[in-house]
Amino acid sequence: MDGALKLWIVIVVVGALNYLSRLSFIAFFASREMPPLLARALRFVPAAMLTALVIPMVLTPSVAGSLQGVNPRIPAAIVAAVVAYFTRSTLATLSLGMIALWVLQAFAR
Amino acid sequence: MRHLIASEDFREGFVEMLPACLGLVPFGLVCGVGAQAAGADWLATLGMATIIFSGAAQVLAIQLYAADAPTLVIILTCFVLGLRLLMYSAAMAPLLKPLPPSWQRSLAFLLTDQSFAAAIRRFAETHDARGGGLHFLGCGAALWLMWVVTNMIGFYAGNAIPASWSLDFAVPLCFIALVAPLFRSVPTVAAGLVAAVAVIALDALPMKLSLVAAGLIGIVAGTIADVARERWTAR
Repeated sequence: MDGALKLWIVIVVVGALNYLSRLSFIAFFASREMPPLLARALRFVPAAMLTALVIPMVLTPSVAGSLQGVNPRIPAAIVAAVVAYFTRSTLATLSLGMIALWVLQAFAR
Repeated sequence: MRHLIASEDFREGFVEMLPACLGLVPFGLVCGVGAQAAGADWLATLGMATIIFSGAAQVLAIQLYAADAPTLVIILTCFVLGLRLLMYSAAMAPLLKPLPPSWQRSLAFLLTDQSFAAAIRRFAETHDARGGGLHFLGCGAALWLMWVVTNMIGFYAGNAIPASWSLDFAVPLCFIALVAPLFRSVPTVAAGLVAAVAVIALDALPMKLSLVAAGLIGIVAGTIADVARERWTAR
């Protein structure tokens, strides 16, 4: 198959599937009542899902490698988490987290 | 359209997202650089940013495309990664319920990790569906604009940034800024801790299934902790 055509098929189909996933339950529960237990469980979506997303990003390039060796991203991420917890500021978290990583990388060298 | 953009809620959402947008700039650049390196033309790069509008899915699609994976495998893998959007959709459903269907269909397009977290926080503070919807529209518009622009800059000029700056670390930092302030109750901490352990334990699963699986396990853990705490305090 032509490479450009293949890429466009991926773009359109993945785009459509992503949109349907985004719309799914918003549309489904627009005219129905949500079971109380489900509503309760959904309160934990941000904490659980965002944590599951962020952990592998910090443990890059590989999760297994990070757990064995010293990865300066781990302490830098902890610094950022503490800053975020107390300041609730994206800007402060970003700047102090990046500075922590740069300092740690300079020491590791 | 003009009165929408002039509304206070819209502008608040737009401005609130600007720091997050700054942090996501490297993510957009990475997507653009990757697309260029994989042999995509500028139009396909623009198509990915505007239509898929998901950094994680784009990076994955480009990696698999560059590795010459079959079309169906690329689509399936991106779909599995996008399953978390189902959870976001469910969590947003009660908040968007009072809004007309046309609004729900438009706002759904802008549902991303970042805009979801911001919207949930906003709705928890105000309980105002219309204002919350406008605020969400502002968040989504800021993210979408930033996303398309940075993807294209990455496509044309992304290789100019030295790798030693580790700018890609800004991506997890943005997520940390969203999630760390949430951990103020025992059930929330349980949800996060269990999800963290699960995502490491399940790392070997194919197609990035570990992310969605760990998210679900964390949600169950949080709910159980919440129910247990309620029973405990009711005694």
